[in-house]
Amino acid sequence: MTPARRSDGATDLRVQLGPLRLKNPVVAASGTFGYGAEFRPYLDLNDLGGFVTKGLSLLPRRGNAPPRTCETASGMLNAIGLANVGVEAFLAEKLPALRGCGTAVIANVFGETQDEYVAVARRLNGAPGLDAIELNLSCPNTEKGGLAFGVSPPVIREVVGAVRRAAPDLPLIVKLTPNITDVAVAATAAKEGGADILSLVNTFLGMAIDLKTRRPVLDNVVGGLSGPAIKPLALYMVQRVRSAVDLPIMGMGGIANCRDALEFIVAGSAAVQVGTLNFVDPGATTRLVREIDAWCRGEGVRAVRDLTGTLRLPAGTTPGPAAV
Amino acid sequence: MPSDSPAPVVRHEALNRDHFLLTLESARIAREARAGQFVMIQTRAGSDPLLRRPMSIYRVLPGRRGLIQILYKVVGTGTRYLSQQPRGALLGTLGPLGNGFRLPEPGTRPVLVAGGIGIAIFPFLAEALRKGRGPSPVLLYGGRSKRDLVALDFFRSRRIPVRLATEDGSTGTRGFVTRLLETLLAARKAADHLELFVCGPTPMLKAVGAVATGAGVACQLALESQMPCGIGVCLGCVVPCPGDARGPLFRRVCTEGPIFRASEVAL
Ligand SMILES: Cc1cc2nc3c(=O)[nH]c(=O)nc-3n(C[C@H](O)[C@H](O)[C@H](O)COP(=O)(O)OP(=O)(O)OC[C@H]3O[C@@H](n4cnc5c(N)ncnc54)[C@H](O)[C@@H]3O)c2cc1C
Ligand SMILES: Cc1cc2nc3c(=O)[nH]c(=O)nc-3n(C[C@H](O)[C@H](O)[C@H](O)COP(=O)(O)O)c2cc1C
Ligand code: FES
Repeated sequence: MTPARRSDGATDLRVQLGPLRLKNPVVAASGTFGYGAEFRPYLDLNDLGGFVTKGLSLLPRRGNAPPRTCETASGMLNAIGLANVGVEAFLAEKLPALRGCGTAVIANVFGETQDEYVAVARRLNGAPGLDAIELNLSCPNTEKGGLAFGVSPPVIREVVGAVRRAAPDLPLIVKLTPNITDVAVAATAAKEGGADILSLVNTFLGMAIDLKTRRPVLDNVVGGLSGPAIKPLALYMVQRVRSAVDLPIMGMGGIANCRDALEFIVAGSAAVQVGTLNFVDPGATTRLVREIDAWCRGEGVRAVRDLTGTLRLPAGTTPGPAAV
Repeated sequence: MPSDSPAPVVRHEALNRDHFLLTLESARIAREARAGQFVMIQTRAGSDPLLRRPMSIYRVLPGRRGLIQILYKVVGTGTRYLSQQPRGALLGTLGPLGNGFRLPEPGTRPVLVAGGIGIAIFPFLAEALRKGRGPSPVLLYGGRSKRDLVALDFFRSRRIPVRLATEDGSTGTRGFVTRLLETLLAARKAADHLELFVCGPTPMLKAVGAVATGAGVACQLALESQMPCGIGVCLGCVVPCPGDARGPLFRRVCTEGPIFRASEVAL
């Protein structure tokens, strides 16, 4: 990766998350950026901090029956069903097309069993041009009655540890599900399992009903909520994890503009991910990079990394869920 | 290649209470668009509604300025906000998207079959067919009532025969557009080669596709779907297609469509 251009007055946008160096803190989120090349008409990948691929499984998956999406107040529900080309096609067709793209390529990984997570991670370890993997822990665990991997601390420790051993050469990002009572508990388990970086949040479970037919709008009944509607929930979770676990964070959830991104950084994110906004505006990510740069200049912030976790909590605030 | 830029509203006319004709300036889209393609259009600034709305390209106007037109019907929040956009407003407009129609083989007579606001896709196709100098098309056009039938002047002024059907019988044949189609198919001569181009609500596409398949007539369907991104990355807009023992295949309406042959999809 080429270092960020530095001229007099320009902000130092580079960030370091454990073993992962990014040229700037803006990363496109999994499932909203395809396999990267799809965005070439709208932006220069070279201007991005990085992007995360659609979630990859061992075999290709066709996904759920439609309707798969539904717009809701300032957000959307999706139940795509983790449709993807499979790890082999990713390595043979998608990854080579990204050679020299100048940005960090992060592969999102999931499985229905721990063995599947491990097998995908092992295939990806050492792949030329791949900079990190991100484990999606929101996938249902078919061996544990369909409960998501990410809701049980022992399961998290085990799957993260197994993937860590299967892909020792790649920085390991663990993506937490928000569908849990205390996200800090999951974050702690991910750290114990050997995560280098935490990313949060994935989508919140939700549903929509068509009153005319009295049926759920989504064929899958439930879907994941994303977009501006979830931002306050996600921001709180980032702050919560930051206060409980000492690992670098990629925060996300409803980021729609530069100020949203900066709030996530102040709450404790070293980098942010941008999801649903890519659908609304395919050039949004690189525009955010320019706007963050401009904001920092205006505020006299020399390096964006200096903003991470600068949240000023009222004196006497105890970390953890408090009465509201 | 598609592009995304703020397109100024050049004209915005109400055709009746809920149908509008929007003219936007976008030189790049005007230059690159083909009949059957669409744009994703921002209906209002901000996050409500959040997503852009897919709209067929109704026409590319002649001239250097690069004007495109959208014909739409107000059905909900997004289209209502769109209808309030004044001249001069800038609307994020992404396109041209999708595959577009395949023009018929030489000597084949095109039959355009429209249901309701599905009419919006056909003026562009009619102009492309005219440039192709093949047999001229006929239009079969159905709607709930007379008020739902718009853009008739476009076709009549170009001497394209128009046959109408309304569910309430307020004009044309009473019933669905499939009745017009069955009449047309019954009257055709053995040597006639026809190809159907169909756009309308999904139940209508299904019915027309079945009639076409039964009659052994080639048929292209323009599909509708919920489209969050329009560019093939969210995988939200899929349509079931004939699959295999493991079940149906799913294809993206936005990038692999919106135009499919009737035999390619399992509606
Ligand atoms: C490729 C493509 C081209 C289109 N071209 C045109 C066009 O040229 N002119 C035009 O008027 N419309 C067109 N549509 C349909 C148009 O996109 C929808 O009417 C619009 O998105 C509705 O937005 P809304 O916010 O007003 O409605 P909403 O508030 O989102 O919904 C109102 C009602 O409309 C239904 N609806 C919403 N979106 C769709 C959809 N995409 N398909 C079917 N039903 C829907 C909802 O289920 C609901 O009942 C096209 C759709 C596609 C996929
Ligand atoms: C259509 C869609 C598909 C997604 N697919 C994945 C996926 O495959 N793996 C994953 O870890 N997250 C996936 N996500 C979650 C996003 O990466 C992100 O965590 C979430 O959308 C919240 O961010 P946002 O509000 O900015 O969209 C998906 C989200 C959407 C909307
Ligand atoms: S609308 Fe997103 S893939 Fe088609």
